[in-house]
Amino acid sequence: MDFNPKKHARYFLRLLNILPSHASNYDSTRLLLCFFAVSGLDLLDALDQLTPEKKEHIREWVYHLLIQAKESDGDDEVARWGFQGASTLILPPATGVIDNSEPYACGHVSMTYTGLGTLLILGDDLSRVNRKVVAAGVRACQQSDGSFCATLAGSECDMRFVYSAAAVCYILQDWSGMDVGLTTNYIMQSLVSHNFFQLLPGFTMIFLINHDDIFQSYDNAFAQGPGLESHGGHTFCAVASLSLMGTLHTMLSTRQLDGLRRWCMMRQESGFNGRPNKPVDTCYSFWVGATLKILDCYDLINKSENRSFTLATQDNITGGFAKWTSTDVEPLHTYFALAGLSLLKEPGLIEIHPELNLSQRTVEHLHKLHEQWTCN
Amino acid sequence: MTDSSSDCTYEEEYVFYKNRPHWKDVTPVPQDDGPNPVVAIAYTEQFREIYDYFRAILRSGEKSERVLELTNDAAQLNPANYTVWQYRREVLSHLKSNLSDELNYIGETISEHPKNYQVWHHRRVIVEWLKDPSKEMEFTNVILAQDSKNYHAWQHRQWVVATFKLYDLELEFVNDLLLKDVRNNSAWNQRYFVIIHTSGFTPNVIKNELEYTAGKIREVVNNESAWNYLRGIICHTESGNITSEEFIMKFCEDLYGTGCRCPYLLALIVDICEELFELGASDEIFSMQRALQVCDDLALEHDKIRKEYWKFISRRINQALLHRTTAA
Ligand SMILES: [Zn+2]
Repeated sequence: MDFNPKKHARYFLRLLNILPSHASNYDSTRLLLCFFAVSGLDLLDALDQLTPEKKEHIREWVYHLLIQAKESDGDDEVARWGFQGASTLILPPATGVIDNSEPYACGHVSMTYTGLGTLLILGDDLSRVNRKVVAAGVRACQQSDGSFCATLAGSECDMRFVYSAAAVCYILQDWSGMDVGLTTNYIMQSLVSHNFFQLLPGFTMIFLINHDDIFQSYDNAFAQGPGLESHGGHTFCAVASLSLMGTLHTMLSTRQLDGLRRWCMMRQESGFNGRPNKPVDTCYSFWVGATLKILDCYDLINKSENRSFTLATQDNITGGFAKWTSTDVEPLHTYFALAGLSLLKEPGLIEIHPELNLSQRTVEHLHKLHEQWTCN
Repeated sequence: MTDSSSDCTYEEEYVFYKNRPHWKDVTPVPQDDGPNPVVAIAYTEQFREIYDYFRAILRSGEKSERVLELTNDAAQLNPANYTVWQYRREVLSHLKSNLSDELNYIGETISEHPKNYQVWHHRRVIVEWLKDPSKEMEFTNVILAQDSKNYHAWQHRQWVVATFKLYDLELEFVNDLLLKDVRNNSAWNQRYFVIIHTSGFTPNVIKNELEYTAGKIREVVNNESAWNYLRGIICHTESGNITSEEFIMKFCEDLYGTGCRCPYLLALIVDICEELFELGASDEIFSMQRALQVCDDLALEHDKIRKEYWKFISRRINQALLHRTTAA
């Protein structure tokens, strides 16, 4: 099957306009869909298919979701700062009544990451983002064990939000958004043990204390949290976070890195699966592929088999990709299939930055902003 | 995405909130989606109305039985809205509602959406409030019976087992699952989880686990899960070295002798050869020359999809050999 980039661009353009009513279960994470569409168009080098007006609308809508500090805010507001996933909880101004809804409108760590990403792709300079404030909002979501919850308003805590937090801190170049030592400790606990590391009081540095402790993961890969089953998506989150924090090679021994590479390599059957003895699924061509890229051994995979599997899930009529050849296309798998093809350097696609999950072009733009921020 | 066809029959008997006498006092509050929304959703009238009422309630702060019903409707239309669940919990707590009923309710919802994060989170909070795990093992049994690899169910189960110290029957449960499907990686992981938190990998446990796993591998050789577990056990021996376990070396050699050329076996043989070399021990059977040969066999015949990987390992071995020669 031939790669059909034009169809996929049209798929994303449709996504940006209006979705049918049965997409209502995406209602609280519309920003994520927006990111898939905009970043997908970026990877397809098709951003010019968005009119300047449309780009402006997207940018304004994304900023509409941002909650930042106001003069009157107290300390308990901090946790609310960041991007919301949708406008579901944005209410028109109240007149003549007390409004109790405000505390429920909260930033969401993953939406802050995708919101910032979307703005960067559109060439925004983030000058309307109060970086200190957004970093403080992320920091408020870190738990005492080092993990992150998505939002303080009723969310679970795990590796996905650790990754989002690390990506936000990297994008903002403001690591006050997390305790890096504590975060690293959480990630390593998912791999190794309860007592492998010791946090010294007043110190965020981690010290290796004992080699003989409990190994939480027996197969060298990472899970959603300590004790859980190793998983391709969470392994990406863990490895990309360590890489963004700059602690990947200090935290993992050569032996651990080799073991991790082996586990990731073993995920390939045609495309990649996410766990041993599970079927291959297009999104893991990115999750596992990007992990291998970060671990400097992506070139060892069988590229043509991976490509053929991904293309077999392509819908040639509507555009888009599916999880399996037998299922329907949807936005998440469409985006990650393209991200996976971009790792393969498929002609027609811009290369992707494996840690940030943004095009290299967008990351170059970000790095220019970083230079400006340090100069000022 | 949900199946929209089921909405139609529902809507025939459905009474909109605006037509419900006991909601007359509430003025719905629309959503402010900005002047030029993108990724808009063409909400059904029902969806739009329910969330308009939900916003009105968030604004007024009402916590009552009718709000509980409203959160139910809102959650059914979008179970991924964590604020709906959060507000529902606040109402439950305010009304001091019967939490056993809530547990039944969320159980049904999870059965309909077994891969949704928010519904599992809700259940966990309710169990925390109840401080009663008595329904959880049976509940996860049912979910795992439908999908024995459901990550959410395993996560919930591990949390329950660890929090309420319910390790006693867990190994039996794992054994049953592995009898049904020896390739169930989640079950192997649970086996490890239970042992680590109970007996630990004592020398005796190590011996038993090695034998158990070797038996499972002999049944179904091409099973990565069992091979990974086998290697996991080794982490707990005194040295942590594969080659410190006579049992493993013999097991590999016997299996190889029967003609087995499964990639996981061959990979382990390569690792054994490399490890012995690193330890400075020379072995006639597990030599570096053999490792090179096995890498070739893997690359060219038994694990072709990872050809480049095995060639890479070959290069690594050659470098180690070269390094040793020049050092000597
Ligand atoms: Zn997938």
